[in-house]
Amino acid sequence: MNAEIEIQLIAVLTAASCAIPGVFLVLRKMSMTSDSITHTILLGIVLAFFVVKDLSSPFLLIGAAVMGPVTVWLTELLTKTGLLSEDSATGMVFPLLFAIAVILITRYAGTAHLDTDSVLLGELAFAPFDRLIIGGLDMGAKGVYISGALLIVNVVFTAVFYKEILVVSFDPVLASVMGFSPAVMHYGLMGMASLTAVGAYEAVGSVLVTAFMIAPAAAAYLLTEDLKKMLVISVVIGGVCGIAGYQTAAFFEVSIAGAMACWAGGIFLCAVLWSWWRRKQAAKRVIKNIIGKES
Amino acid sequence: MMNYSDYSNNAIEVSRLTVTYNSKPVLDNVDLTLPRGKLAAIIGPNGAGKTTLVKAILGLIPKVEGEIVFPELGGKKPKIGYVPQSESIDWDFPVSVLDVAVMGCFGRLGWVKRPTRDDKNFALQILKKTGMEQYAGRQISQLSGGQQQRVFIARALVQKADIYIMDEPFKGVDADTERSIIALLKELRTAGKTVVAVHHDLATVKDYFDHVTLINTKVIANGEVEKVFTDENLDLTYRRSGKAGREQ
Amino acid sequence: MNIFSDHTFLVVSMGSAALGVASGAVGSFAVLRKQSLLGDGVSHAALPGVAAAFLITGIRSSGILLLGALLSGILAALLISVITKCSKVKFDAALAAVMSGFFGLGTVLLTCAQKLPNAAQSGISTFIYGQASAMLEDDVIFITALSAVLIALILIFWKEFKLFCFDRDFSVQSGFSEKKISLLMSFMTVVTVILGIQTVGVVLMSAMLIIPAAAARQWSDRLFANIILAAFFGGLSGVVGALVSGLEQGIPTGPAIVIAASAIAALSLLFAPRRGVVSNFLKRKISRFRLKRSER
Repeated sequence: MNAEIEIQLIAVLTAASCAIPGVFLVLRKMSMTSDSITHTILLGIVLAFFVVKDLSSPFLLIGAAVMGPVTVWLTELLTKTGLLSEDSATGMVFPLLFAIAVILITRYAGTAHLDTDSVLLGELAFAPFDRLIIGGLDMGAKGVYISGALLIVNVVFTAVFYKEILVVSFDPVLASVMGFSPAVMHYGLMGMASLTAVGAYEAVGSVLVTAFMIAPAAAAYLLTEDLKKMLVISVVIGGVCGIAGYQTAAFFEVSIAGAMACWAGGIFLCAVLWSWWRRKQAAKRVIKNIIGKES
Repeated sequence: MMNYSDYSNNAIEVSRLTVTYNSKPVLDNVDLTLPRGKLAAIIGPNGAGKTTLVKAILGLIPKVEGEIVFPELGGKKPKIGYVPQSESIDWDFPVSVLDVAVMGCFGRLGWVKRPTRDDKNFALQILKKTGMEQYAGRQISQLSGGQQQRVFIARALVQKADIYIMDEPFKGVDADTERSIIALLKELRTAGKTVVAVHHDLATVKDYFDHVTLINTKVIANGEVEKVFTDENLDLTYRRSGKAGREQ
Repeated sequence: MNIFSDHTFLVVSMGSAALGVASGAVGSFAVLRKQSLLGDGVSHAALPGVAAAFLITGIRSSGILLLGALLSGILAALLISVITKCSKVKFDAALAAVMSGFFGLGTVLLTCAQKLPNAAQSGISTFIYGQASAMLEDDVIFITALSAVLIALILIFWKEFKLFCFDRDFSVQSGFSEKKISLLMSFMTVVTVILGIQTVGVVLMSAMLIIPAAAARQWSDRLFANIILAAFFGGLSGVVGALVSGLEQGIPTGPAIVIAASAIAALSLLFAPRRGVVSNFLKRKISRFRLKRSER
């Protein structure tokens, strides 16, 4: 497989797998949680690094994935005191964790070449250099497998727990009366979002993970009134962003992840315009009907 | 054979229930029993703890003092159906009327198992009964207030519950819908089900309900409507003097 | 060497203090309106403005870059409010989508900018982390002046802001345009954020708006006292942060300021009289004890 195709494949798979947890974050009005999780990943990586002292260890990824639910838990702990609103709690927790991470890096890990830029910004163009080699055989870029596995995990999780996620997101009271613990599903979803953010940051950088989680889902939210269709549409939008973003970036020689995020934002804005136009049309029709009846 | 010892005429028994919020009591030492197979209303002024009582009965408030018991019926734990207050619903959520009704069977299915065609047909049948069949494919924000309320009552019916708990089922509902909802509730009563509803309209209590609980942080009165729904008790509940303004 | 006579330290701490005062005061309104995270969104959204300003003018002066940041920040804030008005998309999703889209555009423009001959590398990490130690006397004067303007605005529109935060419907009824007040408040948030990006960076600037305000909220129910306290807490954490980072090697100023503010917030949440967690716990114990005694 040549590098160009590999990059596009990673881009498509990553953006598509981000879109799935994004749908539920948007529906649960927790979009900014994705922003919070993607920032605190850095602290997870740094803390895991201090334990294992190895930059290529898979424990770094585990540390990062655990940090997501921990962030959510800390935020909820603050909210539950009743002293702060939820948005204030979110806005307090993740900058603090991020600040701790930055201090730890500058003070203690300066010599370890822990590259914070690559965590925050990612670099898709270098992804094909990281090969998966089994028994001396080149199996292709590692990123393809990581993002592919991520997409499969997200699709399977959503398919298996579709009913539970639906009822917990729509009416948590009913869910708990029925014996589906909202807390369990909530942390399950947060775990999925966190895992996705961890799987995606190497490719697109943690800051832009938010773009691929929220923008396609928010666009799909405007384009359909059916949850299953919303899931499919947002995954498709994610895929389109992957290919279109790569082509744009290759043409103008700019950042791939950035171009993908631009496409995601652009598609979202188009969806807003479209739904606004449709509302206008509908309102016009109603007025016409009323006038028609009167005359 | 029904075991006589576990038979009780009460659907819900609440004893010494105290709930505090920020060290202020919302419910203070509440003792009450709600009879089985009756329509029961919970009535009280705003901030009297009605919704808190409902939440406590549904087991949604983790730390409460006191006890809430649902006496078993023929050796089986009674199932609880629930109709939410319409403000607590996100009406823009991408679900159709049928999707909402089908949710009622999720509890029976348990984890992971999916609703079958039969479950869907049953939900459609219930929608027909509530007069909502023609709207089955509609997204829930495109319904009138009365229709929205009917969808959630249909969902509770799909739950096939023994006890139905409703938070203000008549709020934002036109007179026709109110009549058809109350007809449905009376049908439930005929089938031996218990309905507990938070209610606002004092004028209709006597027509609609068999049992009434007057509450204002403490229980003011609890019993049959004829005996308990008196002017003195209402004055006590709403803390008013004299008979000025029955309608709140 | 005595740190208090060190010129760099004095400049940095003065600048951080002024910044803290402004962001504490302006942030109070954002927290009250439940729009705390708007600052976070705006700070990310400033990136394309910075990059575009550099691309267009080719000059790396902070004045022009700030102007670019201000424009794109305001554009993003407007876009967010238009989207929430004109569609069913909620505030949180609109905010997240717009800010990350803008940030994506920013990284694209930055990669363009880096191709220019006079571009210095690593513009983006300064943007994300901030660089308080690079603060100059001119910057301090600029920050202080703008902070004074922001506080003057709060005082001038005090009555309107108070009414608006307390009871929006009543304020609209009384003839104050919701659009204008809300725009003015968002504008002030944007200006504050842009002021701080250079110093503490994108992520931590949003914290400067929220944390002092949330801490101050615990001590008083009165708006005026809230804002004075928030400004004081913000200023205090600015000075403490600068002090810690000046005394200890390898602690950057921005994160130090945020941690100082968080410490103040933690103390406030725990020990504030009446609202604090500890005092609440004690109150509950006492009332239960009294209840038991009266039962006996």
